[in-house]
Amino acid sequence: MTELRAAIIPPTRLIRRSRPLLGSIALAGLAFAFVVPILWMTTTSFQAGEKMFQLTTEWIPSVWHPENYPNALSRGAFGRYFLNSGVVSFAVMTGNLVFCTLAGYGLAKFHFPCARLILLLILSTLMLPLEVTLVPTFLVIHKFGWLNSYQGIIGPLLVDAFGVFLMRQAIVSIPSDYLEAARIDGAGELRILWQIVLPQCKPALAVLAVFSFRDSWDQFLWPLTVVSVDRMRTYPLGLVQFGDDYGNPPTEQMAIAVLATIPVFLLFAVLQRAFTRGFGLSGLK
Amino acid sequence: MSGKASALLPSDARACSASTARRFWRFDFRDRIRAWGFGFVLPTVVFFAVFKYGPMLWALELSFTSYDMVSQPRFVGLDNYRDLLADPIFRETLVNTLVYIGGSTVLITLVALALALAINTRVPGARHCMMAMFLTNLMPIIAVCLVWRFLLHPHGLISQLLHPLGFDRVDWLTSSWTAMPCIIFVTVWRFAPYFMVVFIAGLLAIPDDYYEAAHLDGASPLQRFWYITLPLLTPMVFFVVVVAALLSARIFLMPFIITGGGPGNATRVLSMLIYETGFSYLKMGRAAAISAVLFAIMMIFTFLQMRFYMGREEAYIR
Amino acid sequence: MITASKTAKLSTATISRRGLMRGIGAAGLAAGASAVGRRAYAQGKAPVSLAFWTFDNPQQRPWLNKRIKLFMEKNPNVIVDFQWFPFGDLGKKLSVGFATGTAPEGFVSQDWLMPIWLDKGLISPLDVTRLGYSSFKAFTDDYAPAFVAGATKDGKAYGYPLWFYGYCNYLNTKHFNQVGLDASNDWPQNWEQLGEVAKRLTIKDGAKFTRQGFKFAMHAAPWTMIQFNPILIQCGGAWFDANGKCTVNNAAGVKAMTIRASMAKQYGAEDPADSIATNPLPQLDWFKERVSMFFCHPIPPTLIKAQNADMMAGHYYREVQYPGVETGRGYSSTYGFNLVINAQIPQDKQEVLHDLYRFIMSDPVDCWNDTAPFTLARKSGWVDNPAVKAFPDIDQFIEARDRGVFLPRTLVYNELADAMHRAVQRIMLNNADIKTALDEAAAEVDRATAAYKRG
Repeated sequence: MTELRAAIIPPTRLIRRSRPLLGSIALAGLAFAFVVPILWMTTTSFQAGEKMFQLTTEWIPSVWHPENYPNALSRGAFGRYFLNSGVVSFAVMTGNLVFCTLAGYGLAKFHFPCARLILLLILSTLMLPLEVTLVPTFLVIHKFGWLNSYQGIIGPLLVDAFGVFLMRQAIVSIPSDYLEAARIDGAGELRILWQIVLPQCKPALAVLAVFSFRDSWDQFLWPLTVVSVDRMRTYPLGLVQFGDDYGNPPTEQMAIAVLATIPVFLLFAVLQRAFTRGFGLSGLK
Repeated sequence: MSGKASALLPSDARACSASTARRFWRFDFRDRIRAWGFGFVLPTVVFFAVFKYGPMLWALELSFTSYDMVSQPRFVGLDNYRDLLADPIFRETLVNTLVYIGGSTVLITLVALALALAINTRVPGARHCMMAMFLTNLMPIIAVCLVWRFLLHPHGLISQLLHPLGFDRVDWLTSSWTAMPCIIFVTVWRFAPYFMVVFIAGLLAIPDDYYEAAHLDGASPLQRFWYITLPLLTPMVFFVVVVAALLSARIFLMPFIITGGGPGNATRVLSMLIYETGFSYLKMGRAAAISAVLFAIMMIFTFLQMRFYMGREEAYIR
Repeated sequence: MITASKTAKLSTATISRRGLMRGIGAAGLAAGASAVGRRAYAQGKAPVSLAFWTFDNPQQRPWLNKRIKLFMEKNPNVIVDFQWFPFGDLGKKLSVGFATGTAPEGFVSQDWLMPIWLDKGLISPLDVTRLGYSSFKAFTDDYAPAFVAGATKDGKAYGYPLWFYGYCNYLNTKHFNQVGLDASNDWPQNWEQLGEVAKRLTIKDGAKFTRQGFKFAMHAAPWTMIQFNPILIQCGGAWFDANGKCTVNNAAGVKAMTIRASMAKQYGAEDPADSIATNPLPQLDWFKERVSMFFCHPIPPTLIKAQNADMMAGHYYREVQYPGVETGRGYSSTYGFNLVINAQIPQDKQEVLHDLYRFIMSDPVDCWNDTAPFTLARKSGWVDNPAVKAFPDIDQFIEARDRGVFLPRTLVYNELADAMHRAVQRIMLNNADIKTALDEAAAEVDRATAAYKRG
């Protein structure tokens, strides 16, 4: 087991002698270029309403309007909307972590007949756009009596084929000999999963957690279809409704958008340690 | 519980299992393992059967009917498909979609890989840069579309940046030449960081001593990349290519909000056409037929990818 | 918002929508307060719960909510679950609702969707006597003919008209003064004048427009239709001929489209690609004074104040009528909203809905106070009220409403709108030939019509 761990955590670093500072600057420039729209969004969220549509952007607001945030929240039941989104996303994340890992592991390391076919079939669920399956999925949820409830929104999102695929790819690279050796040693399957497989795919688990949370956090079309009462709305529905109401300053809509990025970002910040552990050993940071 | 000598190698176990299995368990050793594997996959399969395959089959069935959502579907055979072939809008949209999927997938994969490699050089601040770039993926899609619509205004920020080069204005979103490239650009901007993180996770799984050994053997960085990094990243590349393609096939809000499919038909993609046909024109049967076409395209693509990559997987990983 | 308190638990055992509504309604019963003067028939009646859906609008939706709340106070046995959705999504929610048996009992229909509900028999005819009219003729006389034609069929009324308005030409009078024009006298009454005035108002900085004299909306298909429709009719054109073939590409159609394109191409007063308009604010260019004239539906004063406080304070704006092909005889498109009843609900609920609608519309002056300047479809009972008369330029709004022409009533309205939108984009943004683009649009519409006929 210890040899296994040693192989994962790089014991030495390949020293980059070639000008790390230049690299840092180049990388920072690239990151900045990517981030410009977010800066625009954040800056605009502190501006007065009429500044929103000026084509020459005022990057640092001359007059700050932090009241956009409480104003925006008060114009709709956003507290409730964010709570609903949080509950749904957390449940979806958990469901994905459990079921996708199991299924990914099964597909990666167990050679039952037609495993490839099953993988193709699972991927096929991603090939039909949501709009077409909207009505029948709605009917299924309706039959269960789950309309306008948390279960109804969570239901179809609970297991995502992307997640299964991701975990399969992550687990496929674990050398099978470790598993075989453990089996010969008499370990049960669940123990193998828990003690050998999972620790090795921590980065992928972290990625899966963040992605599944984020994907369900942003969901719009499905909650729009299954929810017809205001108190069960998720925040994207609130955001669109907010924007459609022409009485609302659009800068406040940006404020809500900024708020919406925070939970997923926090989750990512917490989990990214799991897969950038290797960075920490560089000593250059 | 096995009672067998632990010095036996897996290959021996395989050879022995046939004859000795029944002495120890009800099922064959190998079968038991397989049963476990199947059990792991089962909940997911059941879930998909209820929530995905059922609706998908219904949608396929629907493509042979005329259904306006408020009355019963009426069987029309292949009429929907025939109509589609004769419809210039469908043909244009199909071409747009193929261009969009192709362009997005290739660019996303390349940009994500490049970014991941850049981050993986682990220069000071790399981790922060990664987090900053990932932020772009977290913006709510509505905000993304609004922001980019303004940045890409003929007199907006991007045009202003080109002033020094002599461009007075560029009609990014309203000229049929630049509209689709802009949508592809925004798509890459939004999704490359997502896949960058996937690649980083994959890059980190490659032990550094492989690189050290190669370095000691005198391999150049390019050779190290080509012979070590790329092969070991194969599972992740496979993932990114397939998922990026599937994602771009389904994307609908971005072109819908940024250009509305315009100018003319320049940025209309199949997912948008499906939405309009089904919910705006109330022709669900026809929308289902369009989806079936999209489904077939993606199925063929994924199947080809599987054949290409899964062979390599076995070669490099096992 | 009128709905159940947050403690209402949804029963998961019942599958029916009615069971769902009852669950919500039972908790909401506690919210109903006893008001002054209960009507006799409400006492001792069985509880009735209804769902009512409308679209979101910052003036119209709260007013509807208010009236429904009042009705519930007067009739404590009635529980109305009031829900609203973004304007563009309401039609979709309704379609999914009808497809799955979860549509609301009553809802507000945008009137261009009326043909679809009517064709599929989804809304039920109204009993005009229950709405307070002595006869069908009395009902139709009380509304503008253009409107009534869309809400009635075979001698029966299917919609109870709410708001109904036309478009006006919104002028920025400050800009007019700047170029030496007087908005009261020099406002454009025909299309050539529109072009000339717009040209004078335009300010350019090289190739960039600092100020566009006039602008057509380019951001969404419904607006393309609404703004182009009257031009087509004025030129003597028609959307369809007697056989149902699309005729937008005939000589009259080409003339109309040439007029529309002339603002940019002939007079150089408009830049079709340069706009900051968004879906909720199509008139944003006008608010930000990037444009001097813009065709728009009635704009509430609060909105003007919110977007351009100076304009409100200095009152340097004016509404005038749409230009016409004949000088001074211009007219715009008119459209509106109806209260309708789902045909699939039981009779007792339909009766309650009639009472609800009658009550909602029983105080048109109150409606005006809350939702001005959106004009009501009804002719009587409010126009002579002093509060209404005091509203600036009220005569312009009423004239626009009375003169206007209806949008084409066709079952393929959405396809038509999308085809026209594409054509306009091609013509204005990609310099396509007008006849060619219109031919393509007409062909698309004909295909859609044929597909609809095949069923």
